[in-house]
Amino acid sequence: MKNQFPKDPAPAIAPSKLNLWLFMLASSMLFAAVISAFIVHRPDAEQKSAWTVFDLPIYFFYSLIIVILSSLTIQYAYNMAKKDELSSNRWLIGTTWILGILFCLSQFLGWKQLVSLDLTFVNSRPEDISASYVYVITALHVVHVLGGIVLLSISWVQAMKFNVHKKSLTLMSITNTYWHFVGLLWILLYLFLYFAK
Amino acid sequence: MGVISKFARRKTLIRFRKMKLNLFGVKGNSLFKKTLSVFSMMLTPLFLMAAEGVVAPPTEFNPMAWDWSSILTLVLAILIVLVIARAFDIGSLTEKITGKTIVSWNNVNAWAAMVFLILGLIGVWYEMEYHGKYLLLGDSASEHGITLDSMFYWTFGFTFFVFIVTEILLFYFMFKYKYDKNRKALYYFHNNKLEIIWTIVPAVVLTFLVLRGFGTWTKITTNIDKNSEEIEVFAYQFGWKARYSGDDKQLGASNFNFISGSNPLGIAEENAVNILVDELKVEIGKLEAQKAAIEDSSKIWKMQYDRFVSTGTDRTYPDEFKVLKTKYNDLLSGSYERQLEKDIKRKNTAIKRIASYKKDKETFNGSAKDDKVTTEIVIIKNKPYIFKFRARDVIHSAYMPDFRAQMNCVPGMPTSFAFTPIKTTAEARISKNNPEFDYYLFCNKICGAAHYNMKIKVTVVSNEDEYKTWLATQTPFVAPPAAAVPAEAPKGDSMTAVKTGTVVKN
Amino acid sequence: MSTAALHTEHDAHGHHKESFISKYVFSMDHKMISRQFLITGIIMGIIGMGMSLLFRLQLAWPDEQFGILETLLGKWGKDGKLDPNFYMGLVTIHGTIMVFYVLTAGLSGTFSNLLIPLQLGARDMASPFMNMLSYWFFFMSSVVLLISVFIETGPASAGWTVYPPLSALDKAMPGSGLGMTLWLVAIALFIVSSLLGGINYISTVLNMRTKGMSMNRMPLTIWAFFFTAILGVLSFPVLLGAALFLIFDRSFGTSFYLSDIYLEGVGALENIGGSPVLYQHLFWFLGHPEVYIILMPALGITSEVISTNARKPIFGYTAMVISLMGISVLSFIVWGHHMFITGMNPFIGSVFMILTLIIAVPSAVKAFNYLTTLWKGNLRFTPAMLFSIGLVSFFISGGLTGIYLGNAALDIQLHDSYFVVAHFHLVMGSAAIFGMFAGIYHWFPKMFGRMMNNTLGYFHFWFTFISAYLVFFPMHFMGLAGVPRRYYQFTLLKEFEVWADVNVMITMAAMLGGIAQLFFLFNFFYSIFKGKKAEQNPWQSNTLEWSTPVEHLHGNWPGEIPAVYRGPYEYSRPDREEDFFPQYIPDEKAPETAAQEGVVEPVETKTEEAESSVFFAAIKRVFGLS
Repeated sequence: MKNQFPKDPAPAIAPSKLNLWLFMLASSMLFAAVISAFIVHRPDAEQKSAWTVFDLPIYFFYSLIIVILSSLTIQYAYNMAKKDELSSNRWLIGTTWILGILFCLSQFLGWKQLVSLDLTFVNSRPEDISASYVYVITALHVVHVLGGIVLLSISWVQAMKFNVHKKSLTLMSITNTYWHFVGLLWILLYLFLYFAK
Repeated sequence: MGVISKFARRKTLIRFRKMKLNLFGVKGNSLFKKTLSVFSMMLTPLFLMAAEGVVAPPTEFNPMAWDWSSILTLVLAILIVLVIARAFDIGSLTEKITGKTIVSWNNVNAWAAMVFLILGLIGVWYEMEYHGKYLLLGDSASEHGITLDSMFYWTFGFTFFVFIVTEILLFYFMFKYKYDKNRKALYYFHNNKLEIIWTIVPAVVLTFLVLRGFGTWTKITTNIDKNSEEIEVFAYQFGWKARYSGDDKQLGASNFNFISGSNPLGIAEENAVNILVDELKVEIGKLEAQKAAIEDSSKIWKMQYDRFVSTGTDRTYPDEFKVLKTKYNDLLSGSYERQLEKDIKRKNTAIKRIASYKKDKETFNGSAKDDKVTTEIVIIKNKPYIFKFRARDVIHSAYMPDFRAQMNCVPGMPTSFAFTPIKTTAEARISKNNPEFDYYLFCNKICGAAHYNMKIKVTVVSNEDEYKTWLATQTPFVAPPAAAVPAEAPKGDSMTAVKTGTVVKN
Repeated sequence: MSTAALHTEHDAHGHHKESFISKYVFSMDHKMISRQFLITGIIMGIIGMGMSLLFRLQLAWPDEQFGILETLLGKWGKDGKLDPNFYMGLVTIHGTIMVFYVLTAGLSGTFSNLLIPLQLGARDMASPFMNMLSYWFFFMSSVVLLISVFIETGPASAGWTVYPPLSALDKAMPGSGLGMTLWLVAIALFIVSSLLGGINYISTVLNMRTKGMSMNRMPLTIWAFFFTAILGVLSFPVLLGAALFLIFDRSFGTSFYLSDIYLEGVGALENIGGSPVLYQHLFWFLGHPEVYIILMPALGITSEVISTNARKPIFGYTAMVISLMGISVLSFIVWGHHMFITGMNPFIGSVFMILTLIIAVPSAVKAFNYLTTLWKGNLRFTPAMLFSIGLVSFFISGGLTGIYLGNAALDIQLHDSYFVVAHFHLVMGSAAIFGMFAGIYHWFPKMFGRMMNNTLGYFHFWFTFISAYLVFFPMHFMGLAGVPRRYYQFTLLKEFEVWADVNVMITMAAMLGGIAQLFFLFNFFYSIFKGKKAEQNPWQSNTLEWSTPVEHLHGNWPGEIPAVYRGPYEYSRPDREEDFFPQYIPDEKAPETAAQEGVVEPVETKTEEAESSVFFAAIKRVFGLS
């Protein structure tokens, strides 16, 4: 639409970037809601001794490491794109993509570990309501990560087509910001779950 | 930088512009098709899901039975208004041509505002005159209610004053400042002094109301007499039960797992609970048998189904056929079996839980034996009470408007409300000049089809003796089954019939 | 991106003619989307109002039989009597439709879409594609909700707040089966729609204002839409969370909300440890801001319409903005006042009470400012103006009763009684609907290029206004006499017999109101095709949207976007002969004709800026410094 009116001043911020920030705000509220539900629910359930305390699966910790690594790689990839170092940009995006998949895998293994401890989402015993919360929180986060992986895939494809470079950074910067967001989200969620038990 | 040639970069730019799959919005025509297909893909399962159980449209279409005279009157009335409107339009056209004013809507609306104001004030007066006497149902029948009422009248005085003044001003301005082409409106942007005044004044008044409200609220909710007698009020779909503590002045423990036909409140009483466990075991046995006989039932249902179809009776008895069809389909899809398994598991869990509770000596301390379950609440004037609320199935709300009392009854979350009645039923009958008057506790939280008929009578008696006479007529919850509370199985009142589709009798 | 590249691409594509689908169905033009929202909203409004008439019929004459009920509802109206289960369903769907579909999407969706770009001087929304998605998600959601009315077990019937366990257990009432599932699906789709819309509105307001349109020159409509969108973006995700938990409880057997339940005919359920009150907390964390999501756009529209038609600057522009801001912030921390009697900690109750009553202050400021704007104005009674004044009247009379309900002590008596029904139907129901009508009458020329008929508008206003007061005013007295809401009939209970004639009166008034809407519908649809052709600025208004040509263009202005030179409410300036002074006319004696056309000589072409300077420019723009 805008290209019909070449004389219009460009908006100060790319609309997609601003939209992304607002989207991140909205999803933070979703997580805030779930976490406050957790906090409000816990004393109630504890009163009825319907709250199991358990150790988080070690895989969730591995995910934490993966997510930190992938944040570094995506940031590096972004910096490379800024410097027009396209080949390193490409393989860094690829690395991040693989790390993202690894993250999902690791979360999945974490769930399997929970299941093996007989802590299922649908509780056969009432006490497992705490486990249900862990499932909901991690699953919602994985959904966000999957969104991030879609973004990464698009960026990767575009990078392969030489479409990500110094003058065309919007997509890359969106991917970068969003990936940092899901990363940070996992760090916070992990810390919360770790200390909340 | 030097890696890409100028040409390549240009190509890149164009490619980027053409990139259709940008999540955050780039236009492109093929996108429409994609969106269309995505939307239809998303909608289809929903349609299918819904189509499963869509009601057939009413078969009878009988225009002769319609109330044609009302319909005609309505149509006529609308037409008349349309004609009037049209006439006004033509009028305004002639106004334009001739330059003479026929109808000045400006004046009409201004006067209409005045008329509305006056009629509105009369209406308010009328309401106060004729319905004002029901305001808060007359005097409060409870002690805290007096403070609450005074709080109410303070708020009422303040808001009513503001309401009258502002509404009068609003419509008066409408009348006074109607359009005049020779006048120019006042160019008046703001006035800090005025704005500060009408920020501060409401703030001060509200502070006053808040402080008073805070005091009243704290008094009602926290100022509870230590010697209050406890009465348990139990809500279920659709009715109420009350439980009195009996001679030991102590309500026995209760748990939803203990609820059974003979123990509708789930009181922790050993015999009743043992009987329940036995019942559950029998039920589990029945379910197991049903599960084992799935093969046979499948054959029988298939036969019935075929008979329906072959004789053509599926049309004559569509409802019966539908029931059978659903059952049969459930059986084929395995959901019947899953349901049976679920039920068995649930009942086993209940037995397990009951067993674990039974180890707890504090729960079964025997104080439940003399508890009395009643279908009426009787309380003594000037005696403090704590009402303990429990709900069996969904959220209900115990609403006693005469006592200015209300509290939600939430399953799994006991609540309470304390008050002291100060007016007996007999006194209220006199003051209300209604010999048939009774206090009631209503349900005030949407809870199902018969929500509107869920109430329990509350009687306030003047002295201990009257109360004792009444209490003596109530049987205590002594052990064995049916004798104690025979007909009051948790079937709900006569309203059970209204609730459809739930009965899978144990 | 260089201009040259853009040009080549543009030329290569040419002005492709838009197909019917891309123009009317999957349109990405904000004006078309706004019309789509409006018409869907109106249709939903008709359905919602029709439902209210059906259950009013039941309440007024519970013992009569109405053939029409059987004709319309089939098995739910056997022998002309409304089924109590379906009564609950009607109440629920009426509430849902009115709150979400008409007054959230229909009101804020329509006018945010129409006015944000036009009044700010933007070619379109920040992301037209998301905008289109927003509408279509809304549409799907409406379709799903309407489907749910027709299924065999009936629609969701646990009240529009759908409190579990009633809504979570399909054995608790028929409506909690498939109907409830569809309700949740519809609401989930609705949340997606309103998030997409809200994000877009905020980003457009922050980012796409024309030259000279600093934040303090924005019309109050835009401020209202802006805060509304912020409320939506922050609170709808919480409802999504609440709905997710409810879905898990319903479909997977978790116990987030369920505990200690024994169901008749089923036995004790396994669920334990859940908390039904948790749902209420999550729901009302959305639910209370939602009230302001509904009301604030209506207030914004009223500010604009009152100022324009009083030919007088809105009184206390800054105070209006600050009170909108105050209401928005406070609305997030007062949700507990819906739950005073759930047995919450009394101390927390008092905190919520204090916070709630603070909200009355900014609301009072707004009401007084409206009154002062009318004072010594030169009031032109267009239908839009009348509806705005009606809104102010409702806002006062409905708002004042909020002081009772926000008071925890009084709420013990008044909670869930007809007093509450009267309160919110006046202050957020009628007031917001009147805001919507005001908006429709005022911006109809902008949306459809034609005028609506004023005479019919006057009839519509007075009938609706009178009937709304007749319907809702007596309800205060019913509530004060302890009549509970959501009762299917009152004849079984002797205590409420005195209200039988009042119920009849209310139903008759509601029917009058319903008939009055027929005038509106006729007027609306007739005027779309046959109305008088509109002028460019029919109301002699100041704001930017009236500088666009009457017929719709892609990109709104044919040439350069006009710049803005002053605030939006410069009416009746003493130094000017005309009683208005549009925002887009330069201060010096500018050539009138050019300004009216909206064509100003192009100033200069903006060139590419470096990332860092863009960043600072962005910050400047966000805070309105440029």
